[in-house]
Amino acid sequence: MTEMMIETRNLTKKYRGTRAVDALNLAIPQGEIYGFLGPNGAGKTTTIRMLLGLIKPDSGLVQIFGQDLKRERIKILRRVGSLVEYPSYYGHLNAVENLETIRRILNVPKNRIDEVLHTVGLTKDAKRSVKGYSLGMKQRLGIASALLGGPELLILDEPTNGLDPSGILEIRELIKKMPQEQGITVLVSSHLLSEIEQMASSVGIVNQGKMIFQDSMPNLQRKAGSEIHIALSDPEAGMITAREQGCFPRLDQGKMVFKGIDNGQIARLVSALVDARHSIYRVEERRKSLEDLFLTMTGSGSADTADADFRSGSGAPRAAGLPREAAQ
Amino acid sequence: MIGKLFAADLLKTRRTGIWWVVLIGAAGLAAMQALNFGLRYDYLVYDTYAADPWGGLIKETSMFVPIAVYLAMTLLMGMIANIENRQNSWKQTLALPVRRSEVFASKLLCCLVQLLAACVLLAASTAAVGLLLGFGGPLPYLDLLTLGFYPLLASLPMLGVMLWMTLTMRNQAIPISLGIAASMVSVFGASMPEILPLSWPMLVVRGHETLRFVGLGIALFAMLYLLGSIHFSRKDVA
Repeated sequence: MTEMMIETRNLTKKYRGTRAVDALNLAIPQGEIYGFLGPNGAGKTTTIRMLLGLIKPDSGLVQIFGQDLKRERIKILRRVGSLVEYPSYYGHLNAVENLETIRRILNVPKNRIDEVLHTVGLTKDAKRSVKGYSLGMKQRLGIASALLGGPELLILDEPTNGLDPSGILEIRELIKKMPQEQGITVLVSSHLLSEIEQMASSVGIVNQGKMIFQDSMPNLQRKAGSEIHIALSDPEAGMITAREQGCFPRLDQGKMVFKGIDNGQIARLVSALVDARHSIYRVEERRKSLEDLFLTMTGSGSADTADADFRSGSGAPRAAGLPREAAQ
Repeated sequence: MIGKLFAADLLKTRRTGIWWVVLIGAAGLAAMQALNFGLRYDYLVYDTYAADPWGGLIKETSMFVPIAVYLAMTLLMGMIANIENRQNSWKQTLALPVRRSEVFASKLLCCLVQLLAACVLLAASTAAVGLLLGFGGPLPYLDLLTLGFYPLLASLPMLGVMLWMTLTMRNQAIPISLGIAASMVSVFGASMPEILPLSWPMLVVRGHETLRFVGLGIALFAMLYLLGSIHFSRKDVA
């Protein structure tokens, strides 16, 4: 069994009676990029603040590096780098001075500052006052601060929030390098499945303070599944052709919708449809969106029902009534 | 650890203009007396304070020390807290491997150093004013130093309150308004009952049982500091 970097047991935090985080059990193995996923207000930031000892849990236990956070907070934090929500910085200071304020506390050698600035690509702007930085640069400075102490665990809360596509890409590439190059375990939170999907190796999904899914990324992708939509001139007749090919689609808004179909089957089907003189307008893959995944997961929690309730991304009403109501 | 925190805190005050407050506050008080004595030189130096011009200068200056100390505490603590509050850098600072109580202590140290610097500057600039005015004789070093120092010690409870409020409150308008209001009221300290800590610096300045009020100031401050530190260490950081 791999060693767990972070483990929480029944972590709970209440705000005015409502449970922001409700009996959460996190398990983050070493060397992973763990995507912590959930809609806004699901309790991600609250959880992360508890992991960093910024707020105290009402009940439950946090173990980082196998040590109790309550007792060994300082020892643990020495090995953790963090970036919580929007970046913290001192606008009147430049990047080097900002890092120096942290370096003095961590007591690491001075050349670490140049190293981390290089890692995040801020060397050129190091002497500029941080007030004038773009959000992306501030976010990178935040990551540089987190890396300064040479952490074994990096906790990043919504690091790509509010960034433009190129900024998101930069941060993502930066995060993906961490486990490979420096052996750092990363916990990264986001409300975007697509974002997590592109960097995380394992994933935990929270909703309303509860962990509703926690597994490896491939397993989530399997669970999310995808459908192939084929739009064609005569869908009714197309259905018959498809059945002759051994595929059993459903008809949805004039499109044939296939589940669990592999590349070979699609190829054969398309050529059969062409042979049958159908005009094929579109062959597209539709992923279940995070919302759909949430709804199905919170609706029942079991994989079977999630599959049965599978719907198109457009949110067609077919078979969707039950999980949607249950989620609310 | 506290030394490292303090070194970091000092760096954070760079380019904030905080040291200008120290300089202008202290030198401003002396400049005011330069004006006072300059305009009324004959009356003050040859008549009212003919026997002891140095004592006169110090007495005239001391009337404004309590309000200046209260204002300085409010302003300096407001500025120190603002460094962390502005971009909510608390979550970054407190996620570092540091004890919260030490962070709290370091902020106090930061403000105390600035206040002490202001006291020394006040002594130096007042001495300069006296020399410029042509007061001869030996400089009253001790009186010059205690001119700022005693009222500062008697005002410490205010620093305890400001330290706690500015570092724990989201809305800085509350501590700053309170600080300014207290500064204004402190001018009438001499006519207030001595049970009110607000009256202590003025009582010290007037020479009423100086050491007793200095001691009371330190004792009350120690209590407030302890309570503030405990609260700061336990509170959730949003």
